[in-house]
Amino acid sequence: MLSVNFKWLCILISVFFLSACNEDLIPSDKDERLSVEEGSIGNQVGQIAADFTAQDSLENEIVLSDELASNDAVVIYFTMWCPLCDSHMTSMRQNVKPQFPSVRFLMVDYVTGSIAQSRAGQLSNGYASETIISDIGRPLFEQFDGNMAVTIVIDSSGEIVMNESYKQSKLLSVLNLALQP
Amino acid sequence: MKKVLISLLFSGSLLLPLNTLAASCCGGGSASSLILPKMADSMFDYSFSYEKYDGFWNVDGDHIDDPEGSSFEQYRSNFAYANRLGYRWQASIQVPYVWNKNIYPEKESATNGLGDTVLGLWYESFDDVKCVWKVTGWKSLEPAIYFGTSLTLPTGKSMYSGDVTQDNDVTGRGSYRLDANLLIDKTIYPWSLSWALSYGMHIERPVNEEFGRTVEPYDLQLGDRISNGITFGYTHFLESLSTVTVSASVNDLREGEGKINGLKDASLPSIKKQSVGLSLSYSTPIMDWVYKVSLNHALQGDGRGENFPTTDIVNLGVTYVIR
Repeated sequence: MLSVNFKWLCILISVFFLSACNEDLIPSDKDERLSVEEGSIGNQVGQIAADFTAQDSLENEIVLSDELASNDAVVIYFTMWCPLCDSHMTSMRQNVKPQFPSVRFLMVDYVTGSIAQSRAGQLSNGYASETIISDIGRPLFEQFDGNMAVTIVIDSSGEIVMNESYKQSKLLSVLNLALQP
Repeated sequence: MKKVLISLLFSGSLLLPLNTLAASCCGGGSASSLILPKMADSMFDYSFSYEKYDGFWNVDGDHIDDPEGSSFEQYRSNFAYANRLGYRWQASIQVPYVWNKNIYPEKESATNGLGDTVLGLWYESFDDVKCVWKVTGWKSLEPAIYFGTSLTLPTGKSMYSGDVTQDNDVTGRGSYRLDANLLIDKTIYPWSLSWALSYGMHIERPVNEEFGRTVEPYDLQLGDRISNGITFGYTHFLESLSTVTVSASVNDLREGEGKINGLKDASLPSIKKQSVGLSLSYSTPIMDWVYKVSLNHALQGDGRGENFPTTDIVNLGVTYVIR
């Protein structure tokens, strides 16, 4: 027969109270995104991305406005060369990029701090054919409120249409929408 | 960063070879278990572990080095308590506290917080202790079999909790998980062998923020997970009748691809980790105090893991059994 031990129960209840402030215990499905002024410059969905100039791991200059002028959209992915980043970059390279040849994909290394290190990470992780931006001093990280796996999609008008952690299904649907005539 | 995946290992150092003692005789157990000896009323367990990262396996199972100049460490303090509820029933709770220290050339962080809490419930399929000194017939070969369930509560800070603005800050996974556990243990002194199997399902949850910023709400379900571990041990009795036990273990952890809005999504990839462990424990003659040290080493060879960091873990622990 089961018997109740009150000491045990007290410990359980204490833990629940101690962790009651954690939102993961009772997660919310409310849409709490703040509205933004359309056409304003910023990093939120609906805002216009400020132009930037950056260097890739081969020391080429990457200018956002130039990329938007020659492509239908730009995808920016923030990587820190971790296992999850690698799986996302593989997903993008294998499952997303082939469907959108007119979209420019840029991977941003915001952790290694030098072009040489970005290049080393690029090669050792097997992304020699991708464009890796070396975000020295992290200006892009700051501009887009970046983080590991954050994925930004900017359409040809310069509007940000996605800014959140990578999800393959979301990226596909956002790009399909952005490229609609 | 990799802490997001490493949070898999929270909830009581799930891959550590903790079954340093034959469970039905002296307590111990493995994985998400904290097994109370048959004749004991309750048990306190405290352990402290240090985990050092050394590269990772990529999506193809190839081992990749971390960026030059980077260093990732994690410390975990794990408090656990087990209590007998009935002659064949026992329950346990494990509460970890986690410290993260991460260094990249361009980025450093040091954070800490409560990890994910694990509640466990076990049923013992036997009435008498199954550890024997001599095989006298088929009956003495009967193993101790435990059936258990455990619930992981997302009490840690996850990327979805609103408490975390940087990826390095996470101390938990952010999802409830329900596990079915099986532990089969046989000791014929001085040898012991145990097998621990666990199958877990994450509960789907809504997400409306990531790393402290609001996103379009979606439903998240992490993949099902299976962990498997075999431990082989040898116990040496000292003149004082205290014991020293050495054990070696092999562990395998896998988790399937996660789902977003009910559909599998490559952004939540499947993972795999294979590791080996070695542990040493000392128990007092009446087996009320047990002191443990263990090492866990991820096998770095290609194919030994997928989408997961390779780490080495050192764990120090002490257990106090109340009879």
